[in-house]
Amino acid sequence: MDTTMTMSMLPTLVLAQGPVPELVPGITLFHYLAVSGIMFVLGLIGFLTRRNLIVMFLCTELMFQAAGIALIAFGRFHLNHTGEAFVIFVLTVAAAEAALALALVVLLFRRKETLDGSVWTSMKG
Amino acid sequence: MDTLINPFLFYGLCVLGAVGVLVALPRQKIAGFAIGVLIGAAALAAFFVVLGRQAVKDGAGLPNFHFYIFSAVALFSALRVITHPRPIYAALWFILTIVSSCGLYLVLQAEFLAFALVIVYGGAILITYMFVIMLASDGPSEDAVEAMTEYDRVSREPVIATFAGFLVLAVLASFMAGGASTLKANPRMAATDDPMAQMAPKVEKTLREAGLLAEGEKLVKRPKIEGGGPEVKQQLALDATLDETGGLQILSADGRTVRTLAEKDWPEALRLSDAQRVGFELIERNPGAIEIAGVILLMAMLGAVVLARKKVELDEQAKLEAMARARAESELGREAEFVQPATGGDN
Amino acid sequence: MMMDQMMSSLSPSFAPVWSLALSGGGGGGGEGGSALGVLASLKEVPLSAMVWLIPGLPLLGALLAGLCAVLKVRSKLPAWLMVLCLAGSFAVTFWMYQQVAATGGSTFAVVHLFDWINFNWAPGKAFVANFSLYVDPLTCLWMLFVTGLAACIALYASEYMSHDVGPGYCRFFFAFGLFVFSMACLVMGDNLLLLYLGWEGVGLCSYLLIGYFYQKPSAVAAAKKAFILNRIGDLGLALAIMLIFVKFGTIEYAKLWPMLTQYLQMAAAGQFDQIPTSVQLIAVLLTLAAFGKSAQLPLYVWLPDAMEGPTPVSALIHAATMVTAGVYLIARTLPLFQISVAPLAGLEGTWFGFVSQISALEIVAYGGGLTALLAATIGMAQFDIKRIMAYSTVSQLGFMFAGLGVLASYGAAFHVFTHAFFKATLFLACGAVMHGFAGQLDLRKLSGVMWMKGWLIVGLAMLVGCLNLAGVPFTAGYFSKDVILAEAFSVGHFRPLAWILLFTALLTAYYTFRVFFRVFVGPKHYEPGDELHAHDDHGHDHGHGDKHDHGHDAKGHDAKAHFHPHPPGWAINTVLALLAIASIAAAFAYPTYFVKGLVDTSTAQVAAGAAGHTHVGGATIFGYDPHKAMYYISGIVGAVGIITAFFLHYLGRRTAATSAADNLNLGALQRAAQNKWYVDEFYNFTIRLPLKVLSHIFHMLDKLVVDGLVNLAGLLPRAGGAGLRPSQSGVLHGYAVAMAAGIGVLGLVALLALR
Repeated sequence: MDTTMTMSMLPTLVLAQGPVPELVPGITLFHYLAVSGIMFVLGLIGFLTRRNLIVMFLCTELMFQAAGIALIAFGRFHLNHTGEAFVIFVLTVAAAEAALALALVVLLFRRKETLDGSVWTSMKG
Repeated sequence: MDTLINPFLFYGLCVLGAVGVLVALPRQKIAGFAIGVLIGAAALAAFFVVLGRQAVKDGAGLPNFHFYIFSAVALFSALRVITHPRPIYAALWFILTIVSSCGLYLVLQAEFLAFALVIVYGGAILITYMFVIMLASDGPSEDAVEAMTEYDRVSREPVIATFAGFLVLAVLASFMAGGASTLKANPRMAATDDPMAQMAPKVEKTLREAGLLAEGEKLVKRPKIEGGGPEVKQQLALDATLDETGGLQILSADGRTVRTLAEKDWPEALRLSDAQRVGFELIERNPGAIEIAGVILLMAMLGAVVLARKKVELDEQAKLEAMARARAESELGREAEFVQPATGGDN
Repeated sequence: MMMDQMMSSLSPSFAPVWSLALSGGGGGGGEGGSALGVLASLKEVPLSAMVWLIPGLPLLGALLAGLCAVLKVRSKLPAWLMVLCLAGSFAVTFWMYQQVAATGGSTFAVVHLFDWINFNWAPGKAFVANFSLYVDPLTCLWMLFVTGLAACIALYASEYMSHDVGPGYCRFFFAFGLFVFSMACLVMGDNLLLLYLGWEGVGLCSYLLIGYFYQKPSAVAAAKKAFILNRIGDLGLALAIMLIFVKFGTIEYAKLWPMLTQYLQMAAAGQFDQIPTSVQLIAVLLTLAAFGKSAQLPLYVWLPDAMEGPTPVSALIHAATMVTAGVYLIARTLPLFQISVAPLAGLEGTWFGFVSQISALEIVAYGGGLTALLAATIGMAQFDIKRIMAYSTVSQLGFMFAGLGVLASYGAAFHVFTHAFFKATLFLACGAVMHGFAGQLDLRKLSGVMWMKGWLIVGLAMLVGCLNLAGVPFTAGYFSKDVILAEAFSVGHFRPLAWILLFTALLTAYYTFRVFFRVFVGPKHYEPGDELHAHDDHGHDHGHGDKHDHGHDAKGHDAKAHFHPHPPGWAINTVLALLAIASIAAAFAYPTYFVKGLVDTSTAQVAAGAAGHTHVGGATIFGYDPHKAMYYISGIVGAVGIITAFFLHYLGRRTAATSAADNLNLGALQRAAQNKWYVDEFYNFTIRLPLKVLSHIFHMLDKLVVDGLVNLAGLLPRAGGAGLRPSQSGVLHGYAVAMAAGIGVLGLVALLALR
């Protein structure tokens, strides 16, 4: 049909159609990547629209999570565990970030008595 | 090769999803969350239907419902995280996201990570969030939405943010489509790196315990490779040899004949768990990174302690406001004192 | 007969002056001689490098004055140093003159000091302008009176400027020394570029000295006027030098003269059409230069205003030396003028067609003659004695140019020589009056000065100067003016010019003695000027210490009531006496042919038979030979002028302010002359006003268009910045949105571009 034409015109979604080997029939890498992407984008939108500092950090955790799903799916796709190892590091960084960032949030809250991120405009220099 | 999903359909669904998210985002007056969720769910459902139908058409059997269910729950709770006006609820919804992500991990046979995620995120990080929300919250205790702080109720520039977000999604998906076609699953990579072959003593012990390795029999070791460093040689000395089908090669007691123990005959204990595999991955291939991760955690701990102990001064304006408030209070008090000197002591 | 005269013109006629007196007659040399004259037999002789002391000593004096300023010397030390240096310079000049005279004439010497400019871009093609001196009789003549007068006037200035002892004194003598140095470069330079350097140098010093009282707005304006008007002439000089280099490939005199011989021969043969127009144009450009520096008709207006400077400056620069630089320039480059006597071919039919009818020499002659007349008429109606002297200078310079124009180079140079002495005397006498009467210069407010105690020498010096200027028989001025007048009458087609000059001589005699009769003789009367504060400061020097009586409330009526004129001191008196004697002695240069000998053995000599020097056979005046008749005619003319002045301004005069001349009601004519014929106003209206309007228009254009474009260029980034500034809100979300959208757009671009 004219799919060839559209394929030549636009980036196609032929990738990652191979099933995740042997284990999950009917589910391709793209399924996981799509879910991961949607979750990432939801986290991103949350980060951009929410003004509560805590929720903003929650949204970054959401993005970390989405990245983790993608990494594990890739690892499974390649039949190795590098992805899982990397997720562990992501987890580490997320934990460290949560500890530091939340301490900072507490600090900022004490200074302005509000959690609104919009009141911090000193970055404009 | 047929496309998994028509790109135009995908972009269309992106737009639909964007509209859903946009409607669902919190707003000053209209609470359109339910409508937004419906639109978003419709888009997601259409997407999943198309994906599942394609999978069935490719002859892969019935679609894996676990994946779809976990995905749907994860995405819905993620949407709730970003739309819920109360931070504490957002955090709770985030736990649900984590849990359903763990379900996805399990489908991918990453059991260790799934449980680690629940423990670390659900157990540790989210509890920290809860504490911070409690510590730093100035929100009222009433349930009414109107009583909540303005910055929680109203999202900031939802249109631009949604547009930017879904633009990124569409572009990312297009890249996945264009880029992954050259990326092929590589079974050999898994075979050569199989930890099985790298732990001959444990394999021997397990086989003996299962009675599959007679007295005097030994695993065939890989021949030494000259030229490597001493560590490589030592490691190789321990390695068992697998034949072409992946079976273990066993040397008889007299050292003359070699028999093969096919993979299907291996005892259950010989199969590595996911945790073991991840452990191998970490210790063998990323030892430096683990050390660095440890340092990062230590630093984060120190930083958190330092930051939390710091005495923060209010900035100038806040100070002035506080002073004005204090003065007003004291004047009120003095007035009260003046008018009613007798009852002044009540303050 | 003819052979005899040829011999006399070719033979080394330059010799010690008394011997020369025996040979050759007056007038313009014999007819039929070689058209080349001195040029044909010019030979180079060696000369000691000691002549470098002539420009060197004034420069040293200037540097010492500058050093005094640095050391904050508050005495007359810089003046004495300068007088010493200038006297030394004069001594060396005199020695140089003797050396040159000993060679017998028709010689020149080039004294090389160092290579200045030497571009050599191709074999045989070089631009050479060395720091070298060109010494020939003409140089000697000029340098003799320049250094001599400069030394005298420096001595005079040492007293005259004494109220300014301190930094101003040092500044004055610095510029003074620098002026003499520049003048020496101008006169002695061996190439036109060095001449140009000196030309600009004297212009600069003139500017500095006119604007000496820089706190007076009128002095500053006068300085600027002089400088700017001189620019016009300087442009002509620069163009002329460039054209000379383009046409002849050299600007060194010693190399330039031989190249001119062929053109001179063509000119003598009447083949003017073979001389390129551009070569003939050089003389026109040089004329422009000379008219600018010597204050001739279109450009003369700066000189009267230049009287704002101290009087010694007026005497030296604006009467005796610098303003004669134009005469020197033309005399020096006279061969170039001689080949430019033909109508300028090639301009016919163009817009400049009228120029094609006039030759450079005619421009010089009529320019000079008309200037002489115009300045004399203005001078008659003025009341400021210094200004009258200034107009008389312009008028006399006009005489000199007229002399050059009729190719009487000897007459012109002689008049420069005599004029330098008597005009310096006149100025210095006026300066002494101004000095003694607190800046009073109005001839209606001064009378009988000569009869006052201590003023006799001034009065006598003034009388000598006036006699010279008026052309009373047997004075130097009489002889030198005679030569010019006689030559003008001899050259037939300049007859109208000759009558103009004769009439001007009459006017000169009148206005000269008008000043003398009103200011120096008659009833004693004076009113002090308004410079009491400045001039009375050194009153105690002369023993009438009433300074403390009126204190520093100088401008009040008290001061005027208590004013006593103080007669000049010994320095001024000495110098005046010296110069008066020199003015009288200059007359002896005529019978001894001192100047004639010098001029006629230099390149300024007009060879008999040279083109344009065509004496109309039997050109006579009242049937007599002009050279003989002029002795009587000009004597009578001078006497008539003096007698008129005597009747109008001396006889029956009872007060200072009135005279019999007041009864002559000349109406508009007098008013116009008094207002300088409204020339300044005319220039103002025709040149300054349109320029002003034009510059306003351009100013608006500049403001609106150029500045507008620049502002627009500045506005665009500002507007862009203002538009983008809100994006830098400092709010985290803004940056995050930009980042996310940026990633999306970049990805899109990559997707579409890299596919």
